[in-house]
Amino acid sequence: MPEHDGLMRVFWPADVSRTDSPGIIVGWRNSGLDVFVLAILEDVEARNVENALKVGILFRNASHPPDRIFQLCGQSSMHVLGLANTPGVDIEPLQIRARTGPGFRRPQILCDRASTIQIIMFERPAPNKMQYMSLDPISLALGDEAERTMYTLGSIDAEEEKEELRKWKRTRGLIEKLNFHSVGKHQPSQKELALPWIVNQINCSWELNTLLQRNISLVRRRPGRALSVSERVVESATTMRDFALMAIWQMITVYIYPVVRRAFIIILLGHRIAAEGLLLLLEWRLKPGYAALKDISATAQQVEIRLQQFCYWPMQYLTLRKRKDDWESVTTSHPDYIRFYNSLWLVANDVIIGMALGSYIIDNSVWVAESISEILSIYTVAALQRTIIWLMRWPAGLKLNNELAAFLGDLFLWVIEHWSYFIEALRPALPRIIWFIGFSSFAGASMPIAMFSDLLSILTLHIYSFYMASARIFNWQYTILLSLFQLFRGKKNNVLRKRIDSCDYDLDQLLLGTILFTLLFFLLPTVIVFYITFAGSRMAIISFKAVLESVLAFLNHFPIFALMLRIKDSQRLPGGIRFELEDTRQTPDKPSNGVSPPPTSYIYLRSVPLTFPDMFHQYFQLGQRIRKHYLSPRVLSCLAIGKFVPPIHRKNLYSLQYSMLPARRAGIWEMWNALVTVPPLKKHVGGEFKVNLNGRRLNGNGRRHMH
Amino acid sequence: MLRSQPRLFARRPSPTTVEYLVSTSPTYNLPLRLLLVTTFIFRVLVGLGVLVLLCSKFARKNYSSEATTYPQTPDLLNIDYVWYFLHIIATSKAGTQSAKLASHIPATALLPASLLIFYIILLRTHTTEALLVIRGLGIQTSTSSDTFLSTATTRFIPTEKIQDIFVNEAFRGFEVRYYLVVVVEGEEDVVVVFPRLLPRRHIVEKVWRGARACLYEPDWGKEGKSG
Repeated sequence: MPEHDGLMRVFWPADVSRTDSPGIIVGWRNSGLDVFVLAILEDVEARNVENALKVGILFRNASHPPDRIFQLCGQSSMHVLGLANTPGVDIEPLQIRARTGPGFRRPQILCDRASTIQIIMFERPAPNKMQYMSLDPISLALGDEAERTMYTLGSIDAEEEKEELRKWKRTRGLIEKLNFHSVGKHQPSQKELALPWIVNQINCSWELNTLLQRNISLVRRRPGRALSVSERVVESATTMRDFALMAIWQMITVYIYPVVRRAFIIILLGHRIAAEGLLLLLEWRLKPGYAALKDISATAQQVEIRLQQFCYWPMQYLTLRKRKDDWESVTTSHPDYIRFYNSLWLVANDVIIGMALGSYIIDNSVWVAESISEILSIYTVAALQRTIIWLMRWPAGLKLNNELAAFLGDLFLWVIEHWSYFIEALRPALPRIIWFIGFSSFAGASMPIAMFSDLLSILTLHIYSFYMASARIFNWQYTILLSLFQLFRGKKNNVLRKRIDSCDYDLDQLLLGTILFTLLFFLLPTVIVFYITFAGSRMAIISFKAVLESVLAFLNHFPIFALMLRIKDSQRLPGGIRFELEDTRQTPDKPSNGVSPPPTSYIYLRSVPLTFPDMFHQYFQLGQRIRKHYLSPRVLSCLAIGKFVPPIHRKNLYSLQYSMLPARRAGIWEMWNALVTVPPLKKHVGGEFKVNLNGRRLNGNGRRHMH
Repeated sequence: MLRSQPRLFARRPSPTTVEYLVSTSPTYNLPLRLLLVTTFIFRVLVGLGVLVLLCSKFARKNYSSEATTYPQTPDLLNIDYVWYFLHIIATSKAGTQSAKLASHIPATALLPASLLIFYIILLRTHTTEALLVIRGLGIQTSTSSDTFLSTATTRFIPTEKIQDIFVNEAFRGFEVRYYLVVVVEGEEDVVVVFPRLLPRRHIVEKVWRGARACLYEPDWGKEGKSG
């Protein structure tokens, strides 16, 4: 198809060839003047290469079916695109003439049809190191759908969620409206539509180039040479060694491996059944709307997360294993790989930190228990007692109602006294509990933290109940005052119409109401000071628990593997692409023997590594969620009128962890099927052995991934 | 003096590829180059001075104590040479002076102050923003970073995602600024080209005309105008 503007686009691997020897350029032709160079094949004729490409000789001995690559690259066949360093030979009008060599900093390309040329140079990402390019940033989370359903399920923040959903819908509508505002719709050309395919072609180029260069010797006509005597001796010796090795390997695979494998599968399955039982217990709800065990306790939540991870790992590993049955250039499973090893690393790190922490706690359990009970008795009993006694005696010059203050103070003091008996009774058992917590930390440092958080909520139960009681009293008084104030003004609240109506009260009604209003109003400060005290201590405990929860979130979700990869090899974490226009004015290349090339721009295509904010995107989201929950005007108004402030729902807080896990875990039967039907690792026994006989190891068997 | 009004440079190696650079860097002449070299040396000296101060504050015991003496100069390529070098600095006149100074400044003041100084000496003197238009691929905006530590932030938008490119006006403080906007399909925020420099109108107009002419094939442009 002829292009209107005569623009030719050439994708040229920057490391393809630096020699000036003649060669055949092979690659994809995405459209008429849009070509993608894969390899330069040397010492062959163009006709032979064309035939070999048609027959498929060049794809022989491929480790996987070449159709898959064609499908991935969106092309049905590979073409001879032109000639390199062969001036004077006739070529077709669409083919290109390239000149490379040590004298040229960049390739020079000519084409009869082209009036301008863009040469886009790129470094081929190495698929065996799991490098790749991508237009969109790699996603470290499992997907937003699970999160969204999780998010809408939470009932406490339902209003906020609805608000968010409404906002989201409105922006969608606006964006759709924006479509009508553009002046003219540009019809995308073939070159523009090819971009996603080109990214795939770049990702496949390294592997295809290796394959082509390996097979080109089949096309090349080369006089055969008989082996010399010494070469024959070496060959037979290596054959003998390989034979012995293969016999031993055969023994192992036939007799030992299946037994080990079966035993391992049975152990895994037993583990899975136990996990399923525990998970059912943790998720059991008395009624559908009620809280499950994991919603109440941080420890249960932590256990649940670990169990879910253990259930997910075999499935995840199996999906990763399937990667081996395909070309390495297929990049769809790379995020899975990062997620899998990230969770493995996190658990390993957690256990390591936990061992250090656990041994410290066990060694010093008496001292730790001592200091904990000390802190508890100082801050939650003695300090509270002192504050209440202070409140009973005109605090800071405020003249409170003596009788009410004495009544409330005595009530709370009495409860505290009984609570301190309970704490005293608990004190001898505390070292035992601490020892147990320390022991549990061998399952990971997150365990003692979660247990400590639970212990804190149990040991400060009295503050929670004081807060509830005082908030309730304050709220009652507040609502009564509000309605009596309406009576005082001669109005009343119409509940049916939701408005204030004026109302003619009788004299006795007005009198009684006004007296009650005055009484309650003068009693209000006394109640308020008690309420403020307990609400303050409750908020302090909640924020301390929030700190613990965020430590847990760090231990459970830190993108440590991704961070390491970012430092070690940033090409494995692509965050998009960028182009760099090469400055050709300062370093003009010498024109190639008389024929001056058309105006050419040299552009470098590079991969942009994932940015750090993208990596910690989920943490920002979590922080925003916590901030929205606790610093919203709704919560502040709740605090002001004495309504109960709900703690943030665990589901919201832990959506971070769940974004690493699927929304629905695979069942036992599903896992059994997957484990049993998994094909054993494909061993290239035939192919590899044959190649080895030639004394050359061509079929790479040492495919290794660095983690 | 080290920065000028935003100026436009265009690089157009072929008619289908163009890069517009808007930069505050001035034209270099001899006095300016000398000034640049002087500021560079000044930055390095200030950085080293702060490092010495920090060293003498927090690692004083290790290097300047009299107990560690070096009878002979260690090999240049040895790790000992580094310690020796630090020892020499710590025991020199400037080193003792800085140690005296460091002992007077509390650590809570010294640490944030030195971080601030490091940030300041790493600042770039001028900002460069670019728009690269490649026909058949898309456009790419890039903004140079504040400090020398990080690279420019780029954003590539494929042509099929570009819904429109236009010049818009907005209030900024007490002035009206014209700026170039790219509307990306399916996104709620538009992409502002040259977001930090926001060059004057004649520059923006020139870039707008150039970008539209370069991005789309010319015959389509005629159809668009007639339609």
